[in-house]
Amino acid sequence: MAPNAAVPFWRAAGMTYITYSNICANLVRNCLKEPYKTEALTREKVHFSISKWTDGKPEKPTIRSDSPEE
Amino acid sequence: MGLAGVDMVIVPATTGQMGVLPGHVATIAELKPGVLSVHEGNETTKYFVSSGFVFIHANSFADIIAVEAVPLDQIDANLVQKGLVEFTQKLSSATTDLEKAEAQIGIDVHSALNSALTG
Repeated sequence: MAPNAAVPFWRAAGMTYITYSNICANLVRNCLKEPYKTEALTREKVHFSISKWTDGKPEKPTIRSDSPEE
Repeated sequence: MGLAGVDMVIVPATTGQMGVLPGHVATIAELKPGVLSVHEGNETTKYFVSSGFVFIHANSFADIIAVEAVPLDQIDANLVQKGLVEFTQKLSSATTDLEKAEAQIGIDVHSALNSALTG
């Protein structure tokens, strides 16, 4: 048995699948022709707010906004 | 994309191009950046998928999940070439494992885009 057989290089470097997948998607989006490229850039924007809950009440939310890397 | 009945799809699995026909054994496969081709009668429609998965169900339904899937004609060949050169350079100047991994991903994706356009 080889429990660590054939780990993908990105996993070996400490990256998770979701990070890998998002990098791939961003690279593909950057190689598009116009007008598809501008439409795609709108898909890249991630904007969400997180709140921790204690005693059934939400605390102050943190806003997380991902700007696409160029 | 949506629900359609087709003759065959060829998906870019990490283990290689996989042809899926009706009656294919139920499978889950991870996809690598590459070309997805949908064959219906005499027509073939090709898309480039950035990464993702394909779930082939026992009833001959196949779900293809990709963050980005673009028709090949939306890809700009010049940008692909520039990207390939840029990431090849980045790999040689990369120091940390993470930088090397990111540069390698860049090379893989751009090479796959290049093959998709020239293949």
